[in-house]
Amino acid sequence: MTGTFERTQTLREWLTDNEPSSRTQARFGRAYLSWRSLSRNPLAMLGLIVVVGLILVAIFADQLATQSPFIGGDLRTERLQPPSAEHWLGTDSQARDIYSRLVHGSRLTLMIVVLVTVIAMPVGLLIGTVAGYAGGWLDSVLMRITDIFLAFPRLILALAFVAALGPGIENAIIAIAITAWPPYARIARAETLTIRNSDFIAAVRLQGASTPRIIARHIMPLCLPSVIVRVTLDMAGIILTAAGLGFLGLGAQPPMPEWGAMIASGRQYIIDYWWVATMPGIAIFVVSLGFNLLGDGLRDVLDPKAAR
Amino acid sequence: MKIVKALLAAGAILALTLLPTRAVTPDDTLVMASQIDDVITLDPAEVFEFSAAEMVGNSYERLIGYDLDDVSDIFGVVAESWEVSEDGKTLTFTVRQGKTFASGNELTAEDVVFSLQRALKLDLSPAFILTQFGFTADNVEEKIVQTGDYEFTFEMDQAYAPTFVLYCLTSTVASVVDKDLVLEHEVDGDLGHEWLKRNHAGSGPFAIRQWRPNEAVVMERNEHYEPEVPLARVIYQHVPESSTQRLMLEQGDIDIARDLGPEELQALEQLDGIKIQSGVKGGLYYLGLNQKNEYLSKPEVRQALKYLVDYDAIADTIMEGLAEVHQSFLPTGLLGSVEDTPFSLDVERAKELLAEAGLAEGFSITMDTRNTSDITGMGEAIQQTFAQAGIDLQLIPGDGAQTLTKYRAREHDIYIGRWGPDYQDPHTNADTFAANPDNSDDAAAKPLAWRNAWDIPELTKKTQSAILETNTEERARVYEGLQREVMDRGPFVIMFQEIEVMAMQDNVNNFIIGPSFDSNEFGEASKD
Repeated sequence: MTGTFERTQTLREWLTDNEPSSRTQARFGRAYLSWRSLSRNPLAMLGLIVVVGLILVAIFADQLATQSPFIGGDLRTERLQPPSAEHWLGTDSQARDIYSRLVHGSRLTLMIVVLVTVIAMPVGLLIGTVAGYAGGWLDSVLMRITDIFLAFPRLILALAFVAALGPGIENAIIAIAITAWPPYARIARAETLTIRNSDFIAAVRLQGASTPRIIARHIMPLCLPSVIVRVTLDMAGIILTAAGLGFLGLGAQPPMPEWGAMIASGRQYIIDYWWVATMPGIAIFVVSLGFNLLGDGLRDVLDPKAAR
Repeated sequence: MKIVKALLAAGAILALTLLPTRAVTPDDTLVMASQIDDVITLDPAEVFEFSAAEMVGNSYERLIGYDLDDVSDIFGVVAESWEVSEDGKTLTFTVRQGKTFASGNELTAEDVVFSLQRALKLDLSPAFILTQFGFTADNVEEKIVQTGDYEFTFEMDQAYAPTFVLYCLTSTVASVVDKDLVLEHEVDGDLGHEWLKRNHAGSGPFAIRQWRPNEAVVMERNEHYEPEVPLARVIYQHVPESSTQRLMLEQGDIDIARDLGPEELQALEQLDGIKIQSGVKGGLYYLGLNQKNEYLSKPEVRQALKYLVDYDAIADTIMEGLAEVHQSFLPTGLLGSVEDTPFSLDVERAKELLAEAGLAEGFSITMDTRNTSDITGMGEAIQQTFAQAGIDLQLIPGDGAQTLTKYRAREHDIYIGRWGPDYQDPHTNADTFAANPDNSDDAAAKPLAWRNAWDIPELTKKTQSAILETNTEERARVYEGLQREVMDRGPFVIMFQEIEVMAMQDNVNNFIIGPSFDSNEFGEASKD
């Protein structure tokens, strides 16, 4: 009859069980506790709502947009219109609906953030853990390379890469990714140094595990939380760098509704037609703030040293 | 008590600074906000830039001038009269007496001959305007010869149309420099070039006193100029942002704002005390279609693209007040200019033409677009109308130097750009739009037709024969034919002619916006 008893146990009790009966239960339990502490932080929740909102807007952009983001209306009559019932956020200098462009621009923003993360995080993690675990000359070489990348201001380095690769959104993503990984490598290395000499690593090594296996299965998972926190906090920076490149004409090419490029094209009208540059500016502000708040909240939850 | 007084004083200062104040420039000084970052030299033998050409135009005098309202009316400025020899190859000029340089030296034929010889010997970018007549650095001393205190001869290798020769002598490169003053500053036989780059040795209404790169140019009245110049000083202030120029004008910090967009001009037009003045310029906005591209080399495609630009809508909105529709390669005002505009947005017609070319499905192509607001704005509008006929136009943004370098190496598909005539004779544009003597990659001459790889031996011959036609009416007819031919099958979608607009304080009078970049004149301008 124990089985029945366990089934009547509520989901909450199962998750908070002090003696989990399986690894899965333990994992879910941890996740649930993290979520509980995150949800107690209202600012982090606000950030989460913004980020989830961004993802939803990007997914349903076609349904949410009222007009085409690329093809404008009549240049003579629908250009630079103020916000109205027909054009919620007004129209730009090519008579395009700014609201629809913002909605479609969220896809670009999300794409940039995700791709940069996907490229930069594994690279940083790998370099950092290898350097930290191997030590010696390999550590020195990898960390000096990291130092070289860190020595340049990020936007300047990204600018140099884009100038070399040619303007375009793909190249902007590559350039930002190239400039984004060094901090992750630093953090991963620092974490690795603190755990490489611990007993459980020694135990794994005594059991005959190879170096790659130790790094991949035992060190990386422990470095991951702090790197994730750092990446989330960086996302605002990534968005701003992408917007900066777009503003300078080196990111997305027209007519792509990239937010930074939209601000750049609205700049010359800012005194008389404030909405053209302001709306994408607000969008960048809200999304960057959202990522920052979420990152802060995640740090409180995931960082083992800060916790309790 | 001391503290109270100090507080009172501080309060008074604060109150004063918070009061809205309106600055005023001095009555005898004209201050302009302008983008003068293009100035690299002030030597008339080298100047080829828009801003510098205007400064030189107001501080030097040229042999010949033309009526700014009617370009076809040419008259002597430094030259009092001229005679053409029997064989049409030699011109004898008489120099006007009584002219004086800003330095106080008298202007004689010696200075004129020196100036022309100097331009040819230095052989800098604008020298080609004079080398067209068969002069070289080596033969110029025998060909341009002083024959009296106020007389010299000008001997060419062929009997060119006299109007063509005279128009070339209206250009900046034919400015007269003060021989004695320039030679005083000669270093290692450079004919004073290094010195003149930053200084002035002319006889125009103003003398250039100071040039601080990317900051300001200060010009002062030439006391020796006749008739007396009303303004004592003209200052160009470098202000790159157009919105800053607008605010400065509204606050009275400047008298004229030179680089405003259509929206800013509209807003300023509403204000009291500010007026807008505009003048039609010779600059043309056009698309260059590279004939190395498999799609663009088809005549039907070239024709179709000419029907896929919404000329009127762009001129009425994005370029409002800054451009008017113009579709022939000679701007309005030049001899023989064709004024009709046969092309307008016609998507159906364009689709038919594309179908004839076997491209009913459309195609994908790139356009190099300079990242200034006007060019990008036009580019995006064209992108939308091209898309209506299934042509996927990708804009490649870049700064002016990037796009131009690519264009000059003819590595583009489509290039959107601006072309300004070098002098007021139709040959200046015909020579570039309708002549391509050698279409090979390492050709010596690289006109626009070459840049777009348009191989036209027949048309080139016609263009080259036109400068030898001495009958002006017949010559105009030749140019009309050339324009129609380029319009019909050329790789150029010529769209607009440029209009220069300035916003100025109401009290500025007699500032003249001329048809070319070196003919914006403020010698007679005044403030009241």
